[in-house]
Amino acid sequence: MRTLCIAVGNLLRGDDGVAHRVLDLLEPAAGVAFLRAQQLLPELSEEIARARNVIFIDADAAAGPPHIEQIAPRELRGSPLSHSMSPAEVVCLAARLFGFDGAAFVCHVPGIDFDPGQGLSAEAEANAQRATQMIGGLCTNLR
Amino acid sequence: MGERIVIHPVTRIEGHAKISINVDDAGEVSSAQFHVTEFRGFEKLCEGRPFYEMPGLMSRVCGICPVSHVLASSKAGDRLLGVEVPSAAVKQRRLVNYAQLLQSHALSFFHLSAPDLLLGMDSAPEKRNIFGVLERDPDFARRGIRLRQFGQRIIELAGGKRIHPAWGVPGGVLHSIGAAGRDEILTWIPEALESMDVAISRLKPLLDSLPQEIENMGNFPTLFLATVTPEGDLEYYDGVIRIVDAEGNTVADGLDPMRYATFLGEASEEWSYVKFPYYKPLGYPGGKYRVGPLARLNVARSAGTPRADREMREFKQRSQGAVCQSFHYHLARLIEMLHSIERIQELMEDPEILSEHIRAKAMLNRLEGIGSCEAPRGTLFHHYHVDSDGLMKKANLLIATAQNNLAMNMAVEQTARRFVTPRSIEEGMLNRVEAAIRCFDPCLSCSTHAIGQMPLIIELRNHAGDLLHRLERS
Repeated sequence: MRTLCIAVGNLLRGDDGVAHRVLDLLEPAAGVAFLRAQQLLPELSEEIARARNVIFIDADAAAGPPHIEQIAPRELRGSPLSHSMSPAEVVCLAARLFGFDGAAFVCHVPGIDFDPGQGLSAEAEANAQRATQMIGGLCTNLR
Repeated sequence: MGERIVIHPVTRIEGHAKISINVDDAGEVSSAQFHVTEFRGFEKLCEGRPFYEMPGLMSRVCGICPVSHVLASSKAGDRLLGVEVPSAAVKQRRLVNYAQLLQSHALSFFHLSAPDLLLGMDSAPEKRNIFGVLERDPDFARRGIRLRQFGQRIIELAGGKRIHPAWGVPGGVLHSIGAAGRDEILTWIPEALESMDVAISRLKPLLDSLPQEIENMGNFPTLFLATVTPEGDLEYYDGVIRIVDAEGNTVADGLDPMRYATFLGEASEEWSYVKFPYYKPLGYPGGKYRVGPLARLNVARSAGTPRADREMREFKQRSQGAVCQSFHYHLARLIEMLHSIERIQELMEDPEILSEHIRAKAMLNRLEGIGSCEAPRGTLFHHYHVDSDGLMKKANLLIATAQNNLAMNMAVEQTARRFVTPRSIEEGMLNRVEAAIRCFDPCLSCSTHAIGQMPLIIELRNHAGDLLHRLERS
C-alpha cells in the first residue's frame, strides 16, 4: 500500500464527521487505501506502518480554507490521556514500534457546527469538496 | 484551620472524576473522596424506546466496554422474549466478551498503568504515558498495542466494528464470525500467549519492588462478588453469583443474578453521580464489596484453562484468605487476559462457532427482564420494565465501577493518609492517589472522552475556599 488515508471524526457531532465525507468523495485509486476512525488510537500505528505514506483527514474548528501540513513522524508530545492521541503521536508510535519511515500529512478541513446531530453545514460540505481535490492531488504526487 | 486538596480531573482513567483530600487543623489528612462529576442519564434516555433497540442504544454507553452493555442488554431482551438462545449464538457472545476483556485489560495495563509500574510513581509526569513505556521497553509497548489490537480485531470481525458494535440482539446475534474470521483469529493466538508470558513475567518482579504501594494503596477487608459456574469456576457470560469475605469464606453462593435486587442495595451521596451499591444483609456502608478481576480470582475456585490455572494457583498464594490488596488488580487483570486467550482458542476450535443458527425469534412474552454478565471491571446488570407494546417504561443499569465505588473511596483515603504530606506536596504523592484509583480501572464513560485534552489541576484550599497552593499539568 502506497498511501493510507485516515478519516478521523464523529459522525454524530455535525461537522466533526467532515473527514468521512471526504473519503466518500475520494475516487478509489491503485495503491491508496481508506480507513475510518472516530478517534486516533495506539493500535492504528501498526496499520500505518504497512503504508508508505499516511494522510490524516480531520475536522478543524479554526476558520479558513482546508489546508494540508506535513508532520514530523517522530514528533513526541506525550499526553496524560493515553487514548486521545494526535496524528503526530500515532505516527511516532508507528515509527518507533513498527518501523514506519514514510511521509505523514494532516489535512485540516474546517467546520463550524460541532453540536450533536448528523449531517454537515454548507460550509463544511464545500470544504470537503475542496479538501478532496487537494488530497487527490497529493495522492497522485506520492505515487 | 483545615484544608482541602483537590485533584481534578483524575488522569488515565475512563471518564471524568476528581479527588478531594481533606486536611485537619494538625496538617494531617483526615479524609478523602472520589467524586464522579459527569452525568450521562442513559436510564432516562431509553424510556419510551422499543426494547429491541436497547442493545444498540446501550452499546453507546461506553467506548471501552460497549460489548458488556450489548450483552447484558441482549440477555435482558432474551428474558423479555422468553426464548432459549441458540448454542452457537451463546458461543459468539462468549467470544466477543472474551475479546473485549482482552482489549480493555490491555488498555488498562499497558497504556494506563504500565507507566507507573515501569517508570516509577515519582517519575516525570510528562513521561508517564505510552511513550514513556515505549522509550523504556519498546518490545513491551509493542506487545501491549498488539494485544489490544487482537481483541479489537475479534470484535470487528464478529460485530462489524471495533467500537460500539450493535450485533447482539434479543434472542441471539446478527451474524457469526465466519470461517475466514476464525482462521484469522487462530493466527494471532501463539503471539498473544507469548505476550502474556512476557507481561506476567515482567510484572511479578515489579510488584516485589513496590511493597509500600501494595500494602497501603487500597489494602483492606471487604466482600468480593463475582459470577461463577455452578461448580465455582471463572465464568463471564452466564452463571450464579458468589460472595466471599476477606478471609476467603463463602458468604453467599448460588445467588440468581435475576434476583440481584434482593441482595444488592444502591445508596447515593450528594457529592457523586455514581451510586454506592452494597450487600444488603450487611447494610450501608458495611456491606461494601469489590468486583472485577481481583474479586473474580478471589471468588472462583479455578480458571478452567491450564495456563491461567497455573497463574491463579500462584496468585492465591499471595494471601492466607482472599487477596485484599487492590494493587493486585493489575496481576489479576493479566491472568484474566491469559485466560481469555485460552478460551478464545477453544471457541475457535469448536466447529459450532461456524453455525448460522444464531438467533431465536419470538414476540414479547414478559414485561420485565434482567440481563447480567461479567464486564472487564466487574459484574454488570441491566434491568428493564416494558409495557405491553414492548416500549421501555424503566431501566436500571448497575455497573461494575459503581459496585467498586465504596472501595475506591476507601483506597483514596488510605493512600492519601499514607503518602500525602500536605505541608510539602509533591507530584508523586498525588500520582499515588490517582494510581490507587487506576487499580480499579474505573470506567466512568469514556465515550465522552474524545474532544480536547484534560489538564490536571491540583488545588490546596482552606475551609474558606481560599487558594493556598496550585499545581497544574497539561
